[in-house]
Amino acid sequence: MGDLIREALSIGWPLFALLAGLFVYSLISISDPVAKKRATFKLFIGMMAAFMLLLAIAHYKGSFYEANRMLPVSLVLVTALCFMMGIYFPNHAAMLKIGGFMFLVAAGLSGYGNWLPQVEGGFPPKEEKLDFSSMTAQQLADEGEKIIFGGIGKNKEQGAVGKGQCPLCHAFHAGMLGERAPNLMGLPERAGKDRLADPKYSKGNPQARDYEQKESFPGSGTAETAQEYIAESHSCPSCYVVVGYGVKGTNDKTSPMPPIHKPPISLSLPELAAVDTWLWVREGRDAPSYEEIIKSYEKFIPEADRPKQQEDKPAGAASALLADGTETVDQIFTKAQCIMCHTIPGIPGALGKQGPVLEEGTNAPNRIKDPAYKGTAHSTPEYIMESVVSPSTYVVKGFPDNLMPKVFGQKLSAGALKKIVDYLSQVKAGSPPPKIS
Amino acid sequence: MGRVAGKKLFSIMALCAMIGLLLLPIVVSLPSLAIGADAPDAVKKEGAATVEKGRDVYYKTEGIVVGAPAPKTVDGPRDYPRYNFESRVLLWFANQQHLYYGSFVLAVPIFCMVIEFMGVVTKDKAMSKRYDQLAHDFIKISLTAYSLTAILGGILIFTFLTLYPAFFGYLSSIFRPVMHIYALMFVAESGTLYIYYYGWDKMTDGFLKWIHLSMSVVLNVIGTLLMFLANSWIGFMMSPAGVDEQGRYLGNIWHVIHTALWNPLNVHRILGNMAFGGGVVAAYAAYKFLASKTDEDRAHYDWMGYIAMALGVAFLIPLPFAGYWLMREVYAYRQQMGITLMGGLLAWLFIIQATMIGILFLSTNYYLWQALGRMRGAEKYQRYIKYLVFVLCCGFLVFITPHTIVMTPAELKAMGGQQHPVLGNYGVMSAKNGGINVIITTTILSFVWYMRGNKVSTVSWSKFGNIFMGVFFGCAYVNIIWLAIYGYYIPANVRVGLSVPQVATTLSCLFFMFPLNAAMMKGAKQMGAIEWGKISVRSQYALIMLATAFTWMMGLMGYIRSSVRLFWHVNEIMRDNSPWAYTHTVGFAANMISFNVLFFWVSILFVFWLGSLGMKKAPVEIKAGVPGGAPQPAGGH
Repeated sequence: MGDLIREALSIGWPLFALLAGLFVYSLISISDPVAKKRATFKLFIGMMAAFMLLLAIAHYKGSFYEANRMLPVSLVLVTALCFMMGIYFPNHAAMLKIGGFMFLVAAGLSGYGNWLPQVEGGFPPKEEKLDFSSMTAQQLADEGEKIIFGGIGKNKEQGAVGKGQCPLCHAFHAGMLGERAPNLMGLPERAGKDRLADPKYSKGNPQARDYEQKESFPGSGTAETAQEYIAESHSCPSCYVVVGYGVKGTNDKTSPMPPIHKPPISLSLPELAAVDTWLWVREGRDAPSYEEIIKSYEKFIPEADRPKQQEDKPAGAASALLADGTETVDQIFTKAQCIMCHTIPGIPGALGKQGPVLEEGTNAPNRIKDPAYKGTAHSTPEYIMESVVSPSTYVVKGFPDNLMPKVFGQKLSAGALKKIVDYLSQVKAGSPPPKIS
Repeated sequence: MGRVAGKKLFSIMALCAMIGLLLLPIVVSLPSLAIGADAPDAVKKEGAATVEKGRDVYYKTEGIVVGAPAPKTVDGPRDYPRYNFESRVLLWFANQQHLYYGSFVLAVPIFCMVIEFMGVVTKDKAMSKRYDQLAHDFIKISLTAYSLTAILGGILIFTFLTLYPAFFGYLSSIFRPVMHIYALMFVAESGTLYIYYYGWDKMTDGFLKWIHLSMSVVLNVIGTLLMFLANSWIGFMMSPAGVDEQGRYLGNIWHVIHTALWNPLNVHRILGNMAFGGGVVAAYAAYKFLASKTDEDRAHYDWMGYIAMALGVAFLIPLPFAGYWLMREVYAYRQQMGITLMGGLLAWLFIIQATMIGILFLSTNYYLWQALGRMRGAEKYQRYIKYLVFVLCCGFLVFITPHTIVMTPAELKAMGGQQHPVLGNYGVMSAKNGGINVIITTTILSFVWYMRGNKVSTVSWSKFGNIFMGVFFGCAYVNIIWLAIYGYYIPANVRVGLSVPQVATTLSCLFFMFPLNAAMMKGAKQMGAIEWGKISVRSQYALIMLATAFTWMMGLMGYIRSSVRLFWHVNEIMRDNSPWAYTHTVGFAANMISFNVLFFWVSILFVFWLGSLGMKKAPVEIKAGVPGGAPQPAGGH
C-alpha cells in the first residue's frame, strides 16, 4: 500500500500542487466566511477524490500486464469518486455520474475477464533439429506423441494439443466420440482392411473417385498398403472422405482437414514418420520402418512440396536470441548467464558475486529515490527493465560500470524480459522468494 | 428561370456531383482491375516462356506471379523496430480507436438517412420537423467525429509504418491495385458528407427534400464501399486468397478482396456498426436527459433515446445470426481456426461474449419495461414482466454454459471427468442456440407489448388476433426449446442443422408478429398519451449500459478475430516473428479492452460537448409540442 501511495503521489503531484494553489487562492480571495467554508470543504473533497483517482491509476498502471483480480478495484474507486464529485459539483453531475457508471461497467467486465481461468497462448512451437532417422521405433513414437499431444504420456489428457493439432478434431481412444473427424483408434488395421476395400476409395483407379481431388498430384495414384493410406490421408485429405465427415454442403466430397505438410501445420516428412509410428506402436503393432514411412509420403508429396525441418524459421532468428520467453524464468536466467554474476534468491545456482544481489522488490524503490539516479524509471518494473537493457544508466555503488553486457535488449525477447521483470519485482529482502513460473 | 427552378437545378447538380464522386474511384481504377494489369513490363515482354505461374491458395486457380513472396521477417530493428513498449499493444490501441470512430461515422449517416426518411414520410408536420432536426444534429456531431476518424486513421498508418514496416509493406504491395481507390473513396466520402450537410437548409421541402434524401443514400453507398474495402484487408489477413503459397500476388485483385470471410465480415460489420451507432446516440440522449433542467428538454431527449435504442436494437437482433454465419464460414474455411475460437485457446473469450450478448438483451428489455411506465394504460402488462425476467434468465444461463473448454490435468481431475459433474455436457450448440433464440423472441415480445402499451385494438378480429398471437409465440417457444433438447439425442453433425429451424422460428416471430400487431393497432383506442420525459432515471442507465457493453463487446470481438491468427500476420502465408507472437491472457485482454472503451467514451463525450456548442442555437419551436403528442417513430412509437 505504501508503494502504491508513493506511486500515486509521484504521478499526481502537479494535480495536488494545483489544488493546493486553489486552496490558498480561496483563502485569500473569499471574504465571506460561509463561502470560504464551502470552498474549503469542496477543495478538501476534491483533494480526496484526486487522491483516490491517482491511487486507482497507480494500481492500474502497476498491474496492467498481470492477471490481477484486484484490478477492477481501481475502476470501482474511480466510479465511487465520480459519484462523489457529482454530489459536490451539481453542474456536471450528469457527466460525472455517467462517467462513473461506465467505469463501473468496465470494472465489472475487466473483473470478469480476470476472474476467469487465465489461458495464455504460448509462442509458436519451437522447432528442434532432431535426427529422426537414427531413432528406434519407440523413440520415434515418443516424438510422434509429442507432435500430436505436446508431450509424452499426454495422449489421454483432454485438451492436450501439440504442433500437429490433431486432437482438435480427432479422438484417439475407444469410446470417445470424434464429432468433427473420425476416431483414430484402430486406424492401422482399419486402413488396410476397410478403407482400401471401400469401393468409394477406388483403389488402383483414382479417376473413378468422386471427391474434390482424384489424386494427391497427377500420377501419384492410390494407396496400396495401410501405411500408404495413412500417408495419403495426411497429404491429400480430400482424395477420400469418410462418410459423415466432409465439409458441410459438399456431400462428403471435400474434407475439412488441411494437408498436414502445408501451412498452418507444416509437418516435415520425418515428423510425419514420427506421428505415424506412434499410431502403430500405441496399439502394440509393429510399425513400418522409418524409411518405409518416408517412402509412403514421397509417393503422395512431390519434391517441391516437401517442407524442410525449420523451414519457417528465418535464418538467424533463433540464434540471435538467448531466450525467447517460452522458458521458465530460472532457465532464462541461466541461458542469459545472469547467475554467473548475480545472486538471485530462489534461482538454483544463482550465487554470483560480481554484481549486486537482485532483491529488486526492495532495492528498486530505494535506487529510484537515490539523488545519483538519473534514469527515467518511476516504478520497480521500469527500473528493472532499464537495468537489464541499459545497465550503465545507474551503477550500484561498489560495483564497476561496463561489466554487465548491454546487449540483453536485443538478446532477450520481450516475453523473456517480462518474465525477468515479473520475477525480480517480487524478490524482497527478508521475504521468501517467489514461485518460479 | 425562377428561384424554385434554380434551386431544383442546383440540387440535381449537387446530387449528380455526389454520384460522380461515387463513380470516380471506380472509373479511375478500371484499367488496373484487369487481370494481370499489374504484371511488371519486364515480365510481359519476356513472353510466356519465362512467365512463372502460381496456384491461388484459396481459389486454386493458376495465375501469373506478379508480386514478391511474403517476407520472412526476423526479430530485429529492420522488421520490428520498437519503442520501449509492446508494439502490438500500441497498434491495438491505435487500431481500436480508429475502428470505434470509423464505425460511428459510418453508422451515423445510415442513422440520419433512416430518421430523415421517417421525417419525410410522416404526415404530422411537427413530428416531421423534429425528425429532421434530430437527423441534422447528428450529422453535425458526425462531422466532428469524422475529423477525429481521419486523424486516428493517420495515426494508425504511422503506427503500422513505424512498428511493423515489413508487414505493412507486404500488405500494401498486395493491395496496391486498389490503394488509390481507397484514397479516392475517402475524398468522395468527405465531399458527399459536406454537400449533404451544407445542402440541408437549402433543400427542405418537396422534391428538393427527396433529392437531399437521395444524397444520404449516395453518401451511405460510398461509406459502405469504403468499409468493404477496409474489410478486405482483415479478410485477407485471416483467410488469404489471390496469392500463392509463398504469398506472391497472382494479378487478380478481386480474388484478394473476395476472400472466404469477406462477405460474412461485411454483413456482420454493417449490422454491428448500426447497433453500435444506436448505442452511442442513445447514450448521448441519456446524458442529455440526465443533464436536462426542464421537462421540455427531458421529453425531447427521452424520445431521442428511445428512437436511437429502437434503431440500434433493430440491428442488434439479426447480429447473432450474422455472427453465426461468420463462424460457420470460419469453420468451413479452416476447421482448426473455428475450434481455436469456440473450443480452444479463445473459448473463454466466447464465454465473455455470450455474457455480453445476454447483458445487451437484458438491458434492452429492462429499458422497454421501464418505458412502459410512462404510458397510461400499460399497467396491465407490468405484472407479467416477472415471467419475462424468468424466461430471459433461463435463456441467458443456458447460453453462457460452456460445453468444451480447455482444461489443465488438475482441473480435469478436480471435475472428475471431461464434463462438469452437475452441468454434464449441457451447453451443446443446439442448447445455446435455444438459449439465444428464447432471449431474442422474448425481446420481440417485449417490443410488441411496448407498442400496444397504451392502446386497445378496435378491429373486429382483435380477439382472434390476440389468440393467434399468443398461440404463435407459445408454439415458437415450444419449437425452439424442443429442438434445443432434441439436439442432445442426435449426432453433432446433424445437430448443427437444427439452428436453421430455430432461427427461422425466431425470425417468423419478428416478421409476422410485428406487422400483425401493427395491423391490430391501426386506429386503436388510446388509453392515454405517452408521457415523454416521465421515464425513470434508471432507464437511462440501462441505455448507458447498452452503449458501454456494446463498445466493450466490439473491442472483445475485434480482439478475438485478430488473435485467432495466432502467430501469423497473414494466416499461413506470413509468419509473425516478433517477440509478441503469443496470445495474451484473458485478463490482460479484458484490461486492454476496458482501457480502449474508456478512452473512446472520454473522447466521444468531448465530441458531444463540441457538438452541443452549436446545437444550443436549435430553434425552440422544434421542441414545443413534444410532451403532449403521441409521436410514431420506429415500430409504431
